[in-house]
Amino acid sequence: MRAIDVREIRFSYDDGTEALRGLDFYCDEGEFVAVLGSNGSGKTTLIQLLVGLLKAGSGRIEINGREIGGLSSEELYQRVGLVFQNPNDQLFAATVEEDVAFGPRNLKLLEAEVQQRVTGSLKAVAALPLRGRAIHHLSFGEQKRVSLAGVLAMRPAVLILDEPTAGLDPAGEAQMMQLLKKLNREEKMTIILATHSVDMLPLFASRIYVLDRGLVLQAGSSEEIFCQQEMIVRAKLRLPYVSRLMYEMKRHDGVPIDGLPLTIGEARAQLLDLIPKEMILERIEEVKP
Amino acid sequence: MMFDLFSDIFTYRNNVLTRIDPRVKLVIVLAALLAVVTSVRPVLPLAAFGLSLGIAAALRIPARLVALRLLAPLSTVAVLVVIQTFTLGTTPLASWEIGGWAVTARAEGLRQGLFLGALSVVLILGITTPAHRIFQALRGFRISRDWVEIAILMYRYIFVLLDRVNDLAAAQRLRLGYRTPRRSLASLSALAGSTIVHSFEQAGRTHNAMRLRGYSGTMPFGELPALEGRDQRILVAGLIGIAVLALLEWGVTP
Repeated sequence: MRAIDVREIRFSYDDGTEALRGLDFYCDEGEFVAVLGSNGSGKTTLIQLLVGLLKAGSGRIEINGREIGGLSSEELYQRVGLVFQNPNDQLFAATVEEDVAFGPRNLKLLEAEVQQRVTGSLKAVAALPLRGRAIHHLSFGEQKRVSLAGVLAMRPAVLILDEPTAGLDPAGEAQMMQLLKKLNREEKMTIILATHSVDMLPLFASRIYVLDRGLVLQAGSSEEIFCQQEMIVRAKLRLPYVSRLMYEMKRHDGVPIDGLPLTIGEARAQLLDLIPKEMILERIEEVKP
Repeated sequence: MMFDLFSDIFTYRNNVLTRIDPRVKLVIVLAALLAVVTSVRPVLPLAAFGLSLGIAAALRIPARLVALRLLAPLSTVAVLVVIQTFTLGTTPLASWEIGGWAVTARAEGLRQGLFLGALSVVLILGITTPAHRIFQALRGFRISRDWVEIAILMYRYIFVLLDRVNDLAAAQRLRLGYRTPRRSLASLSALAGSTIVHSFEQAGRTHNAMRLRGYSGTMPFGELPALEGRDQRILVAGLIGIAVLALLEWGVTP
């Protein structure tokens, strides 16, 4: 079943900027979809429309088969949750516990259920030890995880994240992506991720939308998207670094590579196929002191 | 310096004062304030001031931080004391003639110095209780929810805005924005303007985030736990102690 179905959606800002120009988008239940695009491509506008922060000029948005306008805010926010790019926009309570409990308390749940959700959400993002801490004492990475916990406590069916790895160090980036993968694979949560960071997507996203100036330039699997070098350049994006290296080896050095590896694992396997094992062992012997 | 002014790291230490329920501390502090500002002699305010400094020293709060926190309110008190000493009251202490004008200092104005004691009492509350626990206590006393909500948001975003002001000021300094007094004035104006605009934008984004988690105009708060027996005993003892000191100060004898 479609978790989100967007048809022919248009949106213009008050200054006349046409942010979305008849965009189509869908996401099935349990999918991990990435929306890829450069700055100004319409990613943030799209996700703000999906959570009802903006209202489309024309077109139709359905959440779990129901038109977004027909959902009460209580219904809508238990179906879709948005994690903002900057955690400071989202963490407004004084402590981690109070912030995560904010949503469940707004749903008027019993305090025992509120506490259960707080514990569960903090555990899901590996932030349970931070429970009693003041928000302003957290590191940026911790703030990011706590802001994710705050949204998870609403138990949304669809989780939307705006640049979830922006500003994180490589370890924090990997941790965040692993958390999202776990939520998607184990909790069967539908995830929509807006980003312009391409390196990790092939590992996680089942489908990718490439946006450019308010339109979908291309949609498909990682393999379908990243084999179109021209389209990627047109969208002001780039290939994952490992793919770029293999692409250059293929183009300039004539290395016979099948398709285009998108992950380090794929690239390693292809290179090992090309180089006879004996040659590698010989080389190792040569460089041994 | 600004971060030190608002920093609450000492409130998270584990000591006898941080372990007391904030509701108890709030009541005792209010009672102490009342006793200090209504006292007729300087003994109680000075004792409160001395005791507060002693507590701060015992808790190993850096003297610099104590001075910094007292500095801003004390400057205001100092101005008040000077103005009122020479303009209010009827009991002359000393008189001078300056440029043909007779200037008389009066005892009533000097009494404003009592606020010294009051300020130090509040200082102790601030260095032994995290702000969010004070807000929780206020909720327990049925203080307007709107007021508490605004206080929570203000306290939370002080640090975000301070970060931003710090970054902007550093960027201005790196481009010689404070090289001359004139440039400094222009840089400060730009900094203030930018901070106000940023505050509005931040408020908009935060409101959106709150709406997405079901906010409809009132922040929900959790239940406060009942006061423990130990805290109840501290409350009673504290209030009795302050009442006795206040009565002694007023000269009431049994």
